[in-house]
Amino acid sequence: MTERARVLAWRLAILLVLVAAWEWLTGIKAIARTPGLYWIDPFFISRPSAIARRFAYLASGNARLTLWQMALSTIQSTLWGFLVGVSTGFAAGLVLGRHDRLARIFDPYIVAFNSLPRIALVPLITMIFGFGLLAKIVLAWTIVFFIVFFNTFQGARSVDADLIHSARFLGGSDRQIMRTVIVPSALAWTFAALTPSISFALIGVVVGEFLGGESGGGLGYLIIQSLGTLNAADMMVALISLGVIGIVMALGIKQLERRLLRWRPEYRGRA
Amino acid sequence: MPARRTRIVLRDLAKTFRDGNRAVAAVEDVSFEIFDREFVAIVGPSGCGKSTILNMLGGLVTPSVGRVEIDGVGVTGAVPAKVGYVFQKDTVFPWRTVARNIAVGLEYRGVPRPERERRVRDAIALAGLGGFEEAFPATLSGGMRQRVALMRTLVVEPEILLMDEPFGALDTHTKINLHAELLALWQARHPTVVFVTHDLSEAIALADRIVVMTRRPGRVKLVHEVKLARPRDIIKLRETDEYGHEYGRLWHVLGEELAAPA
Repeated sequence: MTERARVLAWRLAILLVLVAAWEWLTGIKAIARTPGLYWIDPFFISRPSAIARRFAYLASGNARLTLWQMALSTIQSTLWGFLVGVSTGFAAGLVLGRHDRLARIFDPYIVAFNSLPRIALVPLITMIFGFGLLAKIVLAWTIVFFIVFFNTFQGARSVDADLIHSARFLGGSDRQIMRTVIVPSALAWTFAALTPSISFALIGVVVGEFLGGESGGGLGYLIIQSLGTLNAADMMVALISLGVIGIVMALGIKQLERRLLRWRPEYRGRA
Repeated sequence: MPARRTRIVLRDLAKTFRDGNRAVAAVEDVSFEIFDREFVAIVGPSGCGKSTILNMLGGLVTPSVGRVEIDGVGVTGAVPAKVGYVFQKDTVFPWRTVARNIAVGLEYRGVPRPERERRVRDAIALAGLGGFEEAFPATLSGGMRQRVALMRTLVVEPEILLMDEPFGALDTHTKINLHAELLALWQARHPTVVFVTHDLSEAIALADRIVVMTRRPGRVKLVHEVKLARPRDIIKLRETDEYGHEYGRLWHVLGEELAAPA
């Protein structure tokens, strides 16, 4: 068995054990034949079999709002928030990273804004942008921007001065040096921020969906709606779906990184 | 020999660096001239400011006192045109393949693609890097990376080549191979070379003239003409009496600086 297969087998085994224990423990009564008293009460954490049934129902066409529609809405808002946050954060990081005075001027504003708990901005964002897609994108942006900004800023500052000098001796203009030296060098730093950025974009979007109501409601709406009906199974469906979305997006980032940073020794021979 | 044209003039150069509240004089009172197509080596004990002199020639460091002129024009804090610079440190771009590293200077200058590709191909063949065109620098040895750096600089055909201990980090064998290649390239194109090193044998093997520096603060101790015929065979050269004679004399001069109380 290869190392890869062995790791995979262990992962599967852990999953199976956990799911089986969950199913079994939420099925045995604490006192025989007394309804409602369980060792672990499925009312709060549901059961795998119940979750699977709800999953099948929500994924079928019978539900008023299907799981696919909700997942798609969440994915769409997350990707938009991510893209807008990454591109603006990257651009701002490059500019301030290469202009010391600008960086000094903006420093207190950036620190102040970044130390605000983003959740405190939710009511204001709702007031301004309403409950729709835009509000979710803005919320995700307020988090992603700063993560990408700080990393790119560091990356742009720590470009080896001798690389820039040698580019200058080879005849590079400021613009050409930005494109051929500073951007590729900073990208390695930016990429380190992208995986957490995806998670934070999801956080922003889900919080937005808590408030957003049914219009374009994503998985966050499913969670809030299930809270209203005290339906733990539906919540679990939403949580599991969010986990899967997070994993798939993180894998996508990893692939992109492998392509764009294939010059790095750690990706050698794996492109 | 035709009258030699002066290419670079260093006049009364001094550089003082600030270290906290202390002022540290790196070089003092440095004056000499470098002729067109000449190969000049600057040697001296470490910390004597020889790299500082090179950086002043390249416009990377502004002199505290004095003036540097290239072709009669003062070098003022900007990178002068027609000057190539090879650093001791690895400055090959790790995100570009060998071929694209060598092409980068031509790209900057807007050389059209077909000509660019032709010149890069020639450079790769010349440097013995065939087969590594698409390799990333991380997969290459230090010697190969420095070859790429050298070819990247030479492919834009600088008239003046500044080299700051370019082979300092390499093993002796690789170093000697690169000496032979550098001399062949110099013989073919005859750029003016200023080569900083702490390795005396390297300086004698390569240079027409050697500027020996004193300990810090660095001053010019001696400007020595190397009387070895060209073209030189890097390997056989070291077995000759003339080489031994040059080495003995310069070693004595340099030794005074190494042995002197600090």
